[in-house]
Amino acid sequence: MKLKRALGVAVVAVLASGGAAQADYPERSIGMMIPFSAGGGTDVPGRFFAAEMEKILGTDIVVSNVTGAGGTIGATQLSKAKADGYSLGFMPVGTTTTQPHLRKTSYNAESWAPICLVAQGPLYVTVLEDSPIKTVDDLIAKAKSGKVVTGGPPPGSLPHIAQAAVANAYGVKFNYIPHEGINEVAKSMLGGRVDMAIWFGDAKARFGLRPLAILDVERSAEFPDVPTMTELGQPVESFVWFGFFAPAGTPEAIVTKLSDACDKAANSDGFQDNMKKAKRQVRYMPRDEFAAFFKSQYEKNGALLKEAGLVK
Amino acid sequence: MGVLDNLSLALSQIASWEVLLAIFIGTAYGTLVGALPGMGTVVALVVALPFTYSMGTPAAIALLLSIYCASVYGGSITAILINTPGTPQSAATVLDGYPMARSGKADLALGWATFASAFGGVFSLIVLIIAAPRLARLSVYFGPVETFALILFALTCIAWVSSGSMVKGLLAGAIGLFLASIGPDNMTGLSRFGFGIDALAGGLSLISVLIGLFALSEAFTRAAYYVQGKPPDVAGVGFRLPPWSDIRIRLRMLVQSSAIGTAIGILPGTGATAATFVSYAEAKRTSPRRENFGKGEPDGVVASEASNNAVTGGALVPTLALGIPGDGGTVVLLGALLIQGLVPGVQLFQNNPEIMIGAFIVILIANLLMVVFGAIGARGFRRVMGLPEPLLMGWVVLMSVVGAFAVRGNPIDVVVAVLAGLFGVVMRLAGVPVAPIVIGMALGKTLEQSLRQGLMLNDGSFLAFFGQPIAVGIFVITLVFVGAPIYTAYRKGRGA
Repeated sequence: MKLKRALGVAVVAVLASGGAAQADYPERSIGMMIPFSAGGGTDVPGRFFAAEMEKILGTDIVVSNVTGAGGTIGATQLSKAKADGYSLGFMPVGTTTTQPHLRKTSYNAESWAPICLVAQGPLYVTVLEDSPIKTVDDLIAKAKSGKVVTGGPPPGSLPHIAQAAVANAYGVKFNYIPHEGINEVAKSMLGGRVDMAIWFGDAKARFGLRPLAILDVERSAEFPDVPTMTELGQPVESFVWFGFFAPAGTPEAIVTKLSDACDKAANSDGFQDNMKKAKRQVRYMPRDEFAAFFKSQYEKNGALLKEAGLVK
Repeated sequence: MGVLDNLSLALSQIASWEVLLAIFIGTAYGTLVGALPGMGTVVALVVALPFTYSMGTPAAIALLLSIYCASVYGGSITAILINTPGTPQSAATVLDGYPMARSGKADLALGWATFASAFGGVFSLIVLIIAAPRLARLSVYFGPVETFALILFALTCIAWVSSGSMVKGLLAGAIGLFLASIGPDNMTGLSRFGFGIDALAGGLSLISVLIGLFALSEAFTRAAYYVQGKPPDVAGVGFRLPPWSDIRIRLRMLVQSSAIGTAIGILPGTGATAATFVSYAEAKRTSPRRENFGKGEPDGVVASEASNNAVTGGALVPTLALGIPGDGGTVVLLGALLIQGLVPGVQLFQNNPEIMIGAFIVILIANLLMVVFGAIGARGFRRVMGLPEPLLMGWVVLMSVVGAFAVRGNPIDVVVAVLAGLFGVVMRLAGVPVAPIVIGMALGKTLEQSLRQGLMLNDGSFLAFFGQPIAVGIFVITLVFVGAPIYTAYRKGRGA
């Protein structure tokens, strides 16, 4: 009997929520989709962010990891979800701006209502700590005189595009060996099969890789002695970012409410501390700025992929 | 600080209620989730992950490590009792565990599985403690060419697990290899065999295929025969540790299986599922009791369960020493450590030795607790197995479908599981073994990737593969393993 009554209450609650005004948002738990596996590069900042948003919005945020195919499976699911503010996504640059060009995804730049930018991570050109390659010039000299083997995630990934961009800038070519992920690349480097990898700042602490240059406009606080590619004369930029998205068509009032909450969450002490502990960078961008940024990244990455010959 | 200082620091961190409770809960929960068909090691860890965010570092590590170890053991329980491996790592346990249970020795089969699991776990832990940094250093020299050779060798296990018709076994293996080729091609970034279905772009998950082939097809088959009369019951459910005299004659088997599991665990990319089949094949080849394999021989259970739990310690070697995870479970563990602000790798060994020592103690306790929980849990299993068959199987179907979905959150996995279930029924009727499909699927992707990476590294020359001594050694062993039985059969044929 008790169970029946509880079920009855639940049913009434669900029905009532459907007809309620948006002003009461949120009045039940919110789903947040992360298109990569738990404990991974996207999941870690995503879950930190969700924890803060829970406090601010005063409701549960249920994180689900829908993985596979560069995040496109989760993104496809989210793009088709009901745009009522209860299905949201925490997605990185690749899933949202390169994969739609690479694969025939059913979603594109118009499928999202960008809410805010939350985190970023610049890429570095890295080599083994005891590698004879000390500078980018050494690397290019090696590529010109023999061959440089580099490794990274499957073609079309950000590190893959970035290494092509660096090679193009200097008019050389690196031998790219695709790996399952950075863990495998690190193994290949330690085993002496791969010379160089383009990866994030955590490559130093995790695998003892030495950064030669940062692919960003300015030097990072983490490695103040590492020069930017611009300083070295070749302005190549590449960094991953993580944004908070709702499916397109989500009511204006709800997106506004979420972007206000995001402002507080991204700048909260809890989030900043957690990110620092995990050696990750916070980068907040409010809604309008992020929407414009997202659009430009979408087009720029599409052009880069075409240049690299990955998209016809 | 000396070793003793670190040890006492580690002990003081572990000897808190929070940590001990975490080990207790982790082991119980890991065993249970491992036993549920469909919920594997990775799902068990992922579900627990968010809880660790608010825990202290020692308790968080203790919880996850206990879950990691216990879930691998848990898979054997359902493999033995209902012919359905709870995790892919226990697929080989079915081969002899279920026949044992059917012949009324379920209690002994569970006892062997539990004892072998704990043995394998502790064995690999000792290796981890003694040689982790050194072995990890060596493991990085095991490149794509060597991996390719090893996987090729592992594929020969298909011959040993396909009792009956060899052709049917090879057919099933080929199907498995094909299924592994569906989805993203990591070497080019393209999708294969997706047929324009978005949800297939990520490929098939081994777990959902396994759920279909084992759990669902078991339920379907039993449903089909239910009206005709009850299928043979599993008898003697309980828990009985094997007597010492039996353990003593199988000590060599325990050590051999644990060593295989540990070694394969250390080499990233191969995985526990492959380790169990290699170990099973090796046991079947070398055991003095090899005629009984497939009919309920404890050696078969030992080979599978000792090796899969030994993989845990082995896989932790590169994870903790280099920050390079050895299998799916350790990927999640690594993520959890990073969230705790600990960066696994050389620095962790140097800067936080007490955490490493603490981790070793946790693994030891978890492995011993497993035996206790196995013994206590057996009473529960008896209750569950006493349920009316439709209820029990209904529950298996429910857990299977939920499990298939939970792995990746992709609804297509449920469809795949059901189709695999129907296919599994057809295979049973045709007398085709299903285990080789699992082997093919578990190894297919690495086989292809290592071959292509090896070719890319050697400018497209396959001949260069024969310039690598380790690889050549493995190639020769493979050739001998494949060639010897053929040669013997040929000689016999001529002599007759």
